[in-house]
Amino acid sequence: MLLKVNNVEVIYNDVILVLKGVNMTMEEGSCIALLGANGAGKTTTLAAISGIIKSEDGKVTSGSIEFDGQRVDNQSVESNVARGLIHVMEGRKVLQHMTVEKNLIVGGHVLKSGAEVKQRIENVYTLIPRLAELRKRTAGYLSGGEQQMLVIGRALMANPRLILIDEPSLGLAPLMVEEVFKILKELRKSGISLFIVEQNTQAALEVADYGYVMENGRIVMDGEADQLMKNEDVREFYLGLNMEGERKSYRDVKHYKRRKRWLG
Amino acid sequence: MIGEFLDYAINGALIGLLYALVAMGFVVIYRASKVFNFAQGELVVVGGFIVWWLTLGMGLPWYFAIPLAFLLAAIVGYVIERLFFSKLVGESVFSMVMVTIGLLILIRGIVLVVFGAQVRPFPTIFPLKPIIIGDVLIPQSLLYGGILAVIIALALSWFFNQTRTGLKMTASAEDHQVALSMGISVRMSIAAAWVMGSVISTIGAIIFLSGKSLTFLASEIGFIALPVALLAGLESIGGLILAGIIMGVVQGLAEGYLDPIVGGSVGSILPFFIMVFILFVRPTGLFGWKTIERV
Ligand SMILES: Nc1ncnc2c1ncn2[C@@H]1O[C@H](COP(=O)(O)OP(=O)(O)OP(=O)(O)O)[C@@H](O)[C@H]1O
Ligand SMILES: [Mg+2]
Repeated sequence: MLLKVNNVEVIYNDVILVLKGVNMTMEEGSCIALLGANGAGKTTTLAAISGIIKSEDGKVTSGSIEFDGQRVDNQSVESNVARGLIHVMEGRKVLQHMTVEKNLIVGGHVLKSGAEVKQRIENVYTLIPRLAELRKRTAGYLSGGEQQMLVIGRALMANPRLILIDEPSLGLAPLMVEEVFKILKELRKSGISLFIVEQNTQAALEVADYGYVMENGRIVMDGEADQLMKNEDVREFYLGLNMEGERKSYRDVKHYKRRKRWLG
Repeated sequence: MIGEFLDYAINGALIGLLYALVAMGFVVIYRASKVFNFAQGELVVVGGFIVWWLTLGMGLPWYFAIPLAFLLAAIVGYVIERLFFSKLVGESVFSMVMVTIGLLILIRGIVLVVFGAQVRPFPTIFPLKPIIIGDVLIPQSLLYGGILAVIIALALSWFFNQTRTGLKMTASAEDHQVALSMGISVRMSIAAAWVMGSVISTIGAIIFLSGKSLTFLASEIGFIALPVALLAGLESIGGLILAGIIMGVVQGLAEGYLDPIVGGSVGSILPFFIMVFILFVRPTGLFGWKTIERV
């Protein structure tokens, strides 16, 4: 078992209970998707695993998180990155004023030697050729899709075993979403485990083997990705398809989503 | 005529480089921690007193005293960061500024208590004899100081833009949260910046004070470094060289030509006029980081 989230509870600012008894597991080399509406607690789940919640005044107050058999809950991000656990935050957080290549160099700060950094940069360029073309460009001026590729490439620099990636498709044009997910599929092939948080359920379930649906800080449904894809509730509320396979308007779904409760 | 002009301009430029050097300490700290350090001049004074204490006080030879002074200054920088700023990461700019003002007062107090209020001679580290070229008279300490300032600026630029450790610090300068998410220790970066800022201030003190006298009034150089840093843009180290030269030449010429007419002090207030002007027309200075807004 690579990752084991065991009955985890997260509290922000000592009072706001956001995750309530979350359980998840994943095998090395697999890919899981975590789905759910806005505010469900998806980002919080990733932050709890990577340790970023600490810097946001959050804390795992009960339960445990194990990565490769070691407890990682409430550990520092630094130590988790060193273990090969890296969090790609939502919002494509590039280092704006640096070139693409320097972003990658910084991403490789855990590597031992400059030679190793060079080597990995070449690997990243092979995997994401677009970045090689952009190497001298200032990251802040790249398009959204290019920035998303860059933050993925930067995460790869740290030689990760598991990448936690938060809403990689957010705000991207459909073609770009495809590009980005193609890269994620490549990562899987190279043996890296992926934990994808997405609102684009379709795209996420296509890459993932297993999916979890979260609502109000609880996992309300989980299953094999293809099973979830067939599930009526998921289809209706996350894929925006009704039984006849028609796509509902976004507004209808959104309206529904707010009232619908998965427990029931 | 032209000789007089050159004399004002060249000496102005060299003094400007000295401002730039002190501003480097300021900018290194600002970049990493976003602390707008009003006590930068006090760090120069502390550096000055450390050097004085080791050389004239303890009687150590300069080649031994100066490295030791850097080491002590580094410790001072580190301790200041740990004591006053490490708990404040992420707090408002306002509270940080208030702490630096508190620090300024505190350091003045400590210096006064430890070293007393009397004027001390400062060791002559650079030769006193000026270099004379035509009508231009250049004090050697200024000349060597200017060269040193340029070298240090180049070294720092290279460090922050080309080396892995430097880029790591630049990353945390750019965005604490992003750096943190990559597993970079932002705390370490900030502590390292205070250490560097404090050592740079000591170098500034050595050049500025060489052969002169030392009191806590030397801290005023920190105040002139401020407009230089703002003119360069708070994130640019290389830009400080140009900004320092501009500021120094303008000040030198104003002191040479305007002060005799109006009876003084134009030269000393001009940098602050330029600063206010810059803040109005181009808040990011000549080379500072512009906010990149993408939609
Ligand atoms: N730092 C914080 N302090 C207090 N509450 C927080 C904090 N971060 C998140 N929350 C709250 O926790 C809940 C879950 O937020 P989270 O960001 O994990 O949701 P999400 O599923 O990622 O949503 P989205 O799809 O909008 O990104 C929300 O109600 C949010 O207001
Ligand atoms: Mg989120």
